[in-house]
Amino acid sequence: MSTRTRRLPSLGGRRTLALLAPLLALDVLVFLVPTAYLLRVSLTARTPGGAFVEGSWALDGYRYVTETSLVHEILAFTLFFAVLVTALAVAVGVVYAYAAWCATGWTRTLLLGGAVCSLFTTLVVKLFAVLLVYSPQGLVNDLLRAVGLASEPVLLVDNLAGAVIGQLYIVVPYAILAVYAVLSSLNTQLVEAARDLGADGSGVFREVVLPHVRPGIAVAAVIAFTWSVGAYPAPLLLGSGSEQTVGILVSQLLLARFDWPAAAALSVVTAGTVFGSLLVVLWRLDLAGGLLDA
Amino acid sequence: MLELDDLTVTYGDLTAVDGVSLNVRDGELCCLLGPSGSGKSTLLRAVAGFEPPDRGRVRIDGQDVTDMPPHRRPTSMVFQDWALFPTKSVAENVAFGPKMRGVGRADRRAAAQEALKLVEMTDYAEADPTDLSGGQQQRVALARSLIVEPDLLLLDEPLSSLDRGLRETMQVELKRIHDRVETTMLYVTHDQNEAFTLGDRLGVMEAGRLVQVGTPEAVYTDPVDRFVESFLGSPNLITCRVVDVDEGPTVETPFGVRVPAPVDPDRLTLGDDLVVSLRPERLSVTAVPAAATDGGTGASVLATVVERVYRGSDVRLRLSVDETELFVKRPIGADGGLAAGDEVTVRWAPDEATYFDTSGARCR
Repeated sequence: MSTRTRRLPSLGGRRTLALLAPLLALDVLVFLVPTAYLLRVSLTARTPGGAFVEGSWALDGYRYVTETSLVHEILAFTLFFAVLVTALAVAVGVVYAYAAWCATGWTRTLLLGGAVCSLFTTLVVKLFAVLLVYSPQGLVNDLLRAVGLASEPVLLVDNLAGAVIGQLYIVVPYAILAVYAVLSSLNTQLVEAARDLGADGSGVFREVVLPHVRPGIAVAAVIAFTWSVGAYPAPLLLGSGSEQTVGILVSQLLLARFDWPAAAALSVVTAGTVFGSLLVVLWRLDLAGGLLDA
Repeated sequence: MLELDDLTVTYGDLTAVDGVSLNVRDGELCCLLGPSGSGKSTLLRAVAGFEPPDRGRVRIDGQDVTDMPPHRRPTSMVFQDWALFPTKSVAENVAFGPKMRGVGRADRRAAAQEALKLVEMTDYAEADPTDLSGGQQQRVALARSLIVEPDLLLLDEPLSSLDRGLRETMQVELKRIHDRVETTMLYVTHDQNEAFTLGDRLGVMEAGRLVQVGTPEAVYTDPVDRFVESFLGSPNLITCRVVDVDEGPTVETPFGVRVPAPVDPDRLTLGDDLVVSLRPERLSVTAVPAAATDGGTGASVLATVVERVYRGSDVRLRLSVDETELFVKRPIGADGGLAAGDEVTVRWAPDEATYFDTSGARCR
């Protein structure tokens, strides 16, 4: 008896390259070149006269980032803001996705459609709508007074709450969809088995649903975190001015102060921080057998 | 123990369970037998609390549990695909019930070990359930249900996805465990052999209705209607015509022979159809020359052997009589070494056949 082994037809080296070329070109053009340029600018000397000193090599930008205490505060606030938004977005996303999963028929369609629909609106329109709804004369305050929860208008915008609420409106739909995508693969029989063995609603959620959606939670958290570290419009429009994020500072450095080396260095440091923290999270999840297994 | 009273479950226009009343006795293993779509699984799920009934009551140990949510019922279910929690180890799966009842970690670990011992799975306590074979998962699922000491254990075709050899081993194993724990069990299956092997009693379901309940023997020997007769594996259902009622009921078979049909004459109308069921093991077959000596009490017909299948424990013959096929099952050595093409005489005792009218109801 002879054993025949079938091999996958291997692509010739040249053919592979030809097929990859458009992707590589795109990658180089829209990603590598700008990133390299950003890195290069971050390593130029600062000048009061223009954007940066062409052709110079200096660590001015990084010195500004490491030595200015205001930058430290803004970096710390940005991380705090991103973690807070991520935690809230994941919590809302999980609960919302679970509710949609439990719902049937048109209720489910409505819940999921609502999440998707909010993605159709542009950011600025969405944020101005949030501003109107949450302002002291807005819908939410009317509601709070109507049910007797507040006698005075509650300040929900122009402060941290406003910035967080605004940012949540941006990232929560993605969190919902990320969690729902994983949840939709949950076998309903597992839920029934848990109920049958004595688990009530919270038991089922804790013991069956949460362990199952962990990969979805990881994806939702990564989306919410990376997006919120770069938060710009929400804190700018709905914050008070003391909710300064890295994004706001970079735009000031870039546009108002014309300090490109500092702006570029700050961007590089922020991107590095995000990348590093994601690596740590992924590594932790891998240890726990979570994301990479799933 | 379990009392079902006029239980009815509908999905829109479809009546999945139709007015079922059933009493399961304490410690009994009762099988629900029926083809797929006959409502047996739905009935089981209604008892577990997953399907709210449209009508009727479910009582367990005298307590009405009809409106009780599943997690409060004193029942536990073994699912068809076992539904083990993939994110938990075998021991954690088994310890799930006690955990939900607030039993401490050490105690529930010990209880899980004990339950795993019952199903001979202690070596796999730390294993991932997805790494286990079907039979092993089945054992774990059983342990997970038994650990909560349910008053009533519900099993929804738990062996149907196992291959045949393993299924038979597990049937014996289940029987052993049932004898050991003495838990009342309601067992759903579409497999007649399984129901006969396991069941103290069995209930046959058809189109949502429970048509007959009894011991396997009672159901097999005395089916209430044509559906039960054919579902329990009688292939020889012959539609005959009533040719005499008053002078001793007689029917004419499609192959032209007139035979007596010992049925209450009041049930018969001249010219109507009457279905005669001849069980394969109750037909005797002899080579043609012996046919001359007919005692006159039986009915006989000439037939040709189409196929002879040797099955180790018995011999199956497929015969043809004109257009009609007859299936015969004989013990080894009792078929006289027949081969395909042989001419034979088939004989049966009319009072051992069963008779059904055109609606399928039994005529006695």
